[in-house]
This record gives sequence, C-alpha cells and structure tokens, in this order.
Amino acid sequence: MLRFALRRVASAVLTLLGVLALVFGLVTAAPGDAAALAARAGGNRAVAVSPEALAAFRHLYGLDRPVAERFLTWVWRAVRLDFGRSLVDGQPVTLRVARALPTTFALNLAALLLACVIGVPLGVAAARRPAGRLDRISGFLCDALFSTPSFVVGLVLLLVFSGWLRVTPLFADAETGLRGFLLPVVTLALASLAFVARFVRVCVATALADPAALAGRARGEGPSEEIRRALRRSSAPFAAMGAALVPSVVSGSILVERVFSLPGAGGLLAEAVFARDLPTVLALTLLSAVVVVAASLAADLVTAALDPRTVREDVPAAGGVAA
Amino acid sequence: MTAPRAALSRAALAFALFPLLALLAPLVAREKPWVSGRLGETVLSAPVPFDPDAVDLDRRLAPPGRRHLFGTDELGRDVLSRALHGARLSVAAGLLASALALGLGAALGTLAGWAGGRTDRAVLLFLQIVQALPALVLVIAGAAFLKPSFLVAALLIALTGWTDSARLVRAGTQRLRNEAFVDAARASGASTARLLFVHVLPHALPPALATLPYVLGSAVLTEAGLSFLGLGTPPPAASWGRALAEARGLLPGAWWCVLPPAVALFFLVWTARRLGDAFLGRRGDVQSRLA
Repeated sequence: MLRFALRRVASAVLTLLGVLALVFGLVTAAPGDAAALAARAGGNRAVAVSPEALAAFRHLYGLDRPVAERFLTWVWRAVRLDFGRSLVDGQPVTLRVARALPTTFALNLAALLLACVIGVPLGVAAARRPAGRLDRISGFLCDALFSTPSFVVGLVLLLVFSGWLRVTPLFADAETGLRGFLLPVVTLALASLAFVARFVRVCVATALADPAALAGRARGEGPSEEIRRALRRSSAPFAAMGAALVPSVVSGSILVERVFSLPGAGGLLAEAVFARDLPTVLALTLLSAVVVVAASLAADLVTAALDPRTVREDVPAAGGVAA
Repeated sequence: MTAPRAALSRAALAFALFPLLALLAPLVAREKPWVSGRLGETVLSAPVPFDPDAVDLDRRLAPPGRRHLFGTDELGRDVLSRALHGARLSVAAGLLASALALGLGAALGTLAGWAGGRTDRAVLLFLQIVQALPALVLVIAGAAFLKPSFLVAALLIALTGWTDSARLVRAGTQRLRNEAFVDAARASGASTARLLFVHVLPHALPPALATLPYVLGSAVLTEAGLSFLGLGTPPPAASWGRALAEARGLLPGAWWCVLPPAVALFFLVWTARRLGDAFLGRRGDVQSRLA
C-alpha cells in the first residue's frame, strides 16, 4: 500500500513537471518574447523601442540565459507560488488569482454538492428498475444534458428566470448576494448531474445484478438494506467518478463564470487571454492542472484503500473523461 | 457490439442532416434569388433571402415575423441565415478536429503499443500530462499564444481530444503484436510498415473509429465554448458560439437571438452522440467511457 502510494505520488509529481515543461515550451516557442510583449503591453500598437532597451530588458529578466537555466528558475519560482507580476495592472499574479479563487471555489463546490445530492438518489432510483419508466426518462434527460454545453444551459436559464420570470438578477454583484449565485450553481451542477446519475445507475445496477445481492435477498434483506449494500460494494468506482468530474467542472466553470459575469478564476483566465497577460494565463493553467492531478491522485489512493486489489495493478487510473 | 441496423441507419441519417445543412447553407440562405427575371426582378427567391453578413441598421433587433422568420440581431442581420451558415463552421471544426485527433491518437497509440518499453512509457506520460489539463483550459492557454483562426482552434481541440483513441489503439496494438498471424507475416519477410498497415491497424483502429462521434461531439462543444469566449474563428464568419455571446449582452430582450444557435448546437451534438451510441449498441452508458 505504501509503495503504491509513493509510486502514485511520484507519478503525479512527474505529470505536473511535464505540465510545467509543456507550458514553458509553449511560451518559449511562441513568436515574440516577453520583452517584445512588454513593449506592446501599453497599447495595441507596437511602440518604437530601441534594441538596446530591449537587450537591457532581456538581461534584467534573465531572458538572455540558456533555456534550461530559465526553465529551472521558473519551476523553482512556481513551486514558491511566485508567478511574477501581471502585465495588465502590475500586481503580483498570485494576489490576483487568490482574490478570484474564493468565488470559483464556492461555485464549484456548491455545484458538485448539488449534483451529488440530486444525482446519486436519481441514479439509485433508476437502477432499481433497469429499463423502467424512471430509468428511461432520466436516461433521456441525462443524454440531452450531456449534449448541451454549460453556457447554453446558463443562457436559457437566464432567459427564463431573469428575463421572463424576473426572479433572479441578470448580473451577479455584491448587492445580489446569494441570489446571484443560484443560477450559476444550478447551471454548473446540471452538467455534472447527468454524469453522476448515469454513473451511479450503472454501478448500482451492476451491484444489484451481482450474486452477492441475490444472496442478500435470500437472507431476507429488505429493499433499503439491499441498496445500502449495493452502494457500499460499488464505492470504489465512485472515487474515480469524483476525479473524472473535476476536469469537466473546471472547464465548465470558465464558461459559466463568463455567462453570469462572476469575478472568478475562469473569468480571470478569459480576461488574461484577451489581454495577452501571459503570467496570469500560466499561473491559472498550472493551477487547474494541480487541481486535476490532485483529484486523480486522491481518487487512486481512496480506491486503493477501499479495494486493495487495485494496488497490484501497474496501470494508473485514467485521469479524465472527455468533458 | 451488434447494433440493430435500423437504429444505426436512423442515427446516421439524423446526423447526416447537419453536414448536408452546412453544404447547402450558401444555397438556401442567400440574398441572390434562385431565378431572376430579365430585368433583374426576383422570380424565385431563396427560402431564406438574406446573406448572413448583410447588415440592415433599419431593422435592428426585429422580433420574429414575416420578413425575418427568426428575427434579426443587433446589426439587423437575419438570425436564421446566420444560424444556417454557422453550421458550416461547427461541422467543419468538429470533423477536422476529430479527424486530426483520431490520426494523432492512432499514430501515438500504435507507436506506444508496437515499440513498448521506454517509448511506451514516454507516450503514456505525455498522455497523462495532456489529461492533467482540462480540455478547455489547454485550448484557451494555446489560444493566448496564437492568433485566433479556424485552423488554430481545430488543431488545439485535436491536441486535447486524441487521448481516448490513443489508449484504444495502443491496447489493440499490444494485443495483436504477438498474434500468430502477425508472426507469420513477419516470418515471411513483411516490412514493419506492411505489418502495421496491413495486419495490425485494420484490427486495432475500429474501436477508436467507433468513438469518433463522441470525439466529434465534444470537439463541437469545445469549439463553441472557444467562440463563446471570443477566441474562436474571428468575425464576421457566422458562428453559433459567438452568436450566443452576442445574445448574452442583449438579454433580457431579444430571446430570438439565443434560441436558434442554442437549439442547433444541442441537436448537432445530440445526433453525434446518438450515432456513437448506435455504433456501440448501447444507450447513455457512461461507465465504459471511463475505462
């Protein structure tokens, strides 16, 4: 178990280093280096900057050093959460990200909770009678939700609840408080809800079809006891489900924050891309990778604890599913 | 794996509607009449007689009516015409991105499965790295460095979508590498290329091919998200994602600008997923996607 855990941690660290290298490679390979970008940051048009000034800038920021040395310096700074200053307002990137994170964190957590609170009972209810009415209807609805991008769900909800019924605000701000959070959370939850409901349905249906369930029924277990045991037997895949949800929730929250103009990390990323604010883009990209890798690592460890058979397998669990 | 043939053809027909729509859009939705008289008068106009980019500032934000069936947008452009032309972008992006993703996945999967050892581990690590980044984040980060264009968007989306097919092809290649018929071909002096293309890939590729509709569906969704953020194909090309972003600013009025692109986007992805389900002979079963 310990060896497995250590190996998984090492693999996670290696993956994150790979992400760092990939991102660094993108920056290095992109046309125009930071000096040229900074010269342009003031406005859209390139300002005439003398070659000497550019060279001085490059020297100041160490851009004239070899690539390997720059990479190591950058990794060392990233580990200490130092991502430099934003090209937009000159504030430290870490500060800007930290200010945006609580919104995103609250949104994602609330959405995940809501998705599980509704999705798990729905999946269980559908699994009790495979191909029954509830199973067919919920299957159809989940399929439809899978096919709808979160921002479309958000727009339609906005149209109905803010436009026609006028029960929720069109733009969330400090005054609207929690009411402004309602639609974003529901929007983000709906996409995950479909996934959770279908996943739980498959797991529980499999567990109910198991000989163990038949044995339980023969011992005289009631329906609720039967479901409880089925849930318990399929608990290991649920951890994988949690990890698989994370990338799609992160992707979804970028769009949802944009739809509802919430001041979160997703909105910050979109803004930073527009402003070509590379330090902020890099920090947020890394952050999302850390979240995904950490979730996948946690899921693997939980799975290993729940089901020791998995430890023997050499293959790390699949990290994500197409969002 | 035995899909009922009728369900498969139904799903294929429903999905084929969209490429057809994309191909026919310039014919169906255009200002130039189908048949003009000798004096230039209209004898038979196109069903949607508006160019997608034709600005009509006198009729801005007109609600659905006789003249504009689905109303007009902020610049007085016909919403229906733009939705029809938007199909071109979404379908093309989906097809190109998923084809590229399949190609990349097949190449890397074959390489990993065939070579094994260190190469295999390197490819797996690369796969893990790509999966560590949520698809949209990777695409957005890439878009930050490159000039937005149709091709860049398709390439970036392909860069995120190849992992599933790579896994499938890798597993197939590993399984086939030591099969007797491959050994026989090798013993009779077949080159590596011949072994791969004639003996291995025809068996290793179909499972990945069957997932192509899903890859296409999520590619379309990612493209729409990218366009929604303003990082996709630049204006004035009609795009569903951007149309929705523009409509967001017009809420709570102008609901007619939201619904056509939203519904079209939904049906394109939905029919693609149905086609994938029909291929695999199952319905909405998510667990096997996780494996």
